[in-house]
Amino acid sequence: MLSATGKGKLISGLLILLLLGLGVLMLYPFLWMISVSLERSSNIAVPFPPRLIPEQFSLFNYKLVFENGVLFKTYANSAIISLFSVLLSVSSALLAGYAFSRGEFRGKKLLFFAVLATMMIPFEARLIPMFSMFNDLGMINTKYPLIFPAIINALGIVLVKQYFDRLPEGLRESAKIDGANEFTIFIRIFAPLTGPITATLAILAFQDSWNSFLWPLVVINDQAMKTVPLFLSSFSSENGSRLVGVTMATAAMSILPIVIVFLFLQKYIIRSIALSGLKGE
Amino acid sequence: MSNHMSKATPLGVLDQRILRKRNKRIRRQPTLAWYLFLLPTLLGIAVFMIYPLAESLRLSFTKGTDERFVGLENYVSVLESGTFWYSVYNTLYITVFQLLIAIPIGFIIACLINNLRRGSNFFKVLFYLPNVTSIVAAATVFLALLHPDGPLNYVVQLLGFEKVVWLSQPLSAKWGAIILSVWHWLGFVIIINLANLQAISSDYYEAASIDGASGFKQWLYITLPNMVGSLTVLFIIGWIGGLQRFSDAYMLGGLQGSPARSLHTVVGFIFERGFGGHEYGLASAASYILFLFILVFTYINTKVTKMKI
Repeated sequence: MLSATGKGKLISGLLILLLLGLGVLMLYPFLWMISVSLERSSNIAVPFPPRLIPEQFSLFNYKLVFENGVLFKTYANSAIISLFSVLLSVSSALLAGYAFSRGEFRGKKLLFFAVLATMMIPFEARLIPMFSMFNDLGMINTKYPLIFPAIINALGIVLVKQYFDRLPEGLRESAKIDGANEFTIFIRIFAPLTGPITATLAILAFQDSWNSFLWPLVVINDQAMKTVPLFLSSFSSENGSRLVGVTMATAAMSILPIVIVFLFLQKYIIRSIALSGLKGE
Repeated sequence: MSNHMSKATPLGVLDQRILRKRNKRIRRQPTLAWYLFLLPTLLGIAVFMIYPLAESLRLSFTKGTDERFVGLENYVSVLESGTFWYSVYNTLYITVFQLLIAIPIGFIIACLINNLRRGSNFFKVLFYLPNVTSIVAAATVFLALLHPDGPLNYVVQLLGFEKVVWLSQPLSAKWGAIILSVWHWLGFVIIINLANLQAISSDYYEAASIDGASGFKQWLYITLPNMVGSLTVLFIIGWIGGLQRFSDAYMLGGLQGSPARSLHTVVGFIFERGFGGHEYGLASAASYILFLFILVFTYINTKVTKMKI
């Protein structure tokens, strides 16, 4: 007979084993991708039956990716686009969220409702005029159409408003008596307190921008301007069925940056995702 | 209360006067500053929301490069188009099964992780990893996984079934897309469920333990009823996202959603007619029909969310 604690330990041991099994299953597509990319013969025939340890280990496919070099150009494109999108979307949301939290002005309710309403509008309903607009401005195949629209960040505004709502009003009042104007108060007193919410917004905006596909597909067709997903998509449709090894190496390299970011910031990222989902995305 | 009291004494009256003066000064501050705070957002809404929405509506009543007015013709064409309704069917089919599979599995895995005393962070990372990667990378891997001689068919044969042709036949192609979308979305479902599970007050469980309820009974009578609201919200988030699905189906089936348009989604239809065929009017009409669909579900979502709060 097992004692009560012994039984508890057994159950939690089994639970961990079960979760580990499911976790491996979850990671299997990526593990398989890496294994195929490291297999010398995988461009001729995909190993069958499938195996996770390559029979003829080789970095050949990665050598091809590096020699081709286009992927690294797309890293730079995606990085620049994501950086500016994050800056634009976070600063716009911080400013607006602060105004909706602390401001008193005509039309506040109506404007906040307008912000909320933008969350209900699917991007597809604006897709064609957005394309025509940037096309008329001569901005197709530039980074601008992928950056500028990030200025609207409705979820960010809601999160920032809630964040500021929880800070004590006294902070502002004392500064006001000293005659400081609203911008000085925001920059000196409130902005330094926004670290956690800024991190959340930056993470959500980065993931959106880095992984975005439909909009880049519409506004970018020049090879040199492609983002990472766009390049992978065209590479995969050209070579995916013939050169599986190189395609898997390209796919592996394409997710490397965001996986590294994720592993370093996992705690913040998971918290941010939970927050975004709780509010109904 | 304190205001009422302070009025009684001379000192209180003085206090009142200072207070009123201070309030006045605050009120006198120009409200213009607040509009400046909102300027970037309002500018964005005007340029990237209101204008494109209005322009899209206008285009939906026009045809051709000369944009001549054709009334409701585009809407009629879309609603009479077999291709459009097939794309609606595909979108709903993939989404319904994605949600019906991912939400219960994700919920159960979240419950299991929630029971761990240690290591829950490790499992969160493990299960969430696919969701941080782009659906494009995920689909690229699945194109190879779903190959007739790929790993998935190996498992199918191990289980004693016939090989499946996956992306060469309409029904199995849809199931390929469902497997991909479940796998890619599962981590999100788990994280949201975990956050909501942790929000359930531990008092309930303590009270139930004292009354001698087993772990399973606690799950059935405490966890499940407390999670109905958040599972519904998750369902609606997934539904609205699913109606807009494009990237996964496009990656597996290309511009026309091959094979035989079985992976052609509503957004795929808009994309193909708009940018493949330059039929801006027709594509805009289709996008407004999608917009109306989504509006209805978003409305239901806000009702459900409010109910929960």
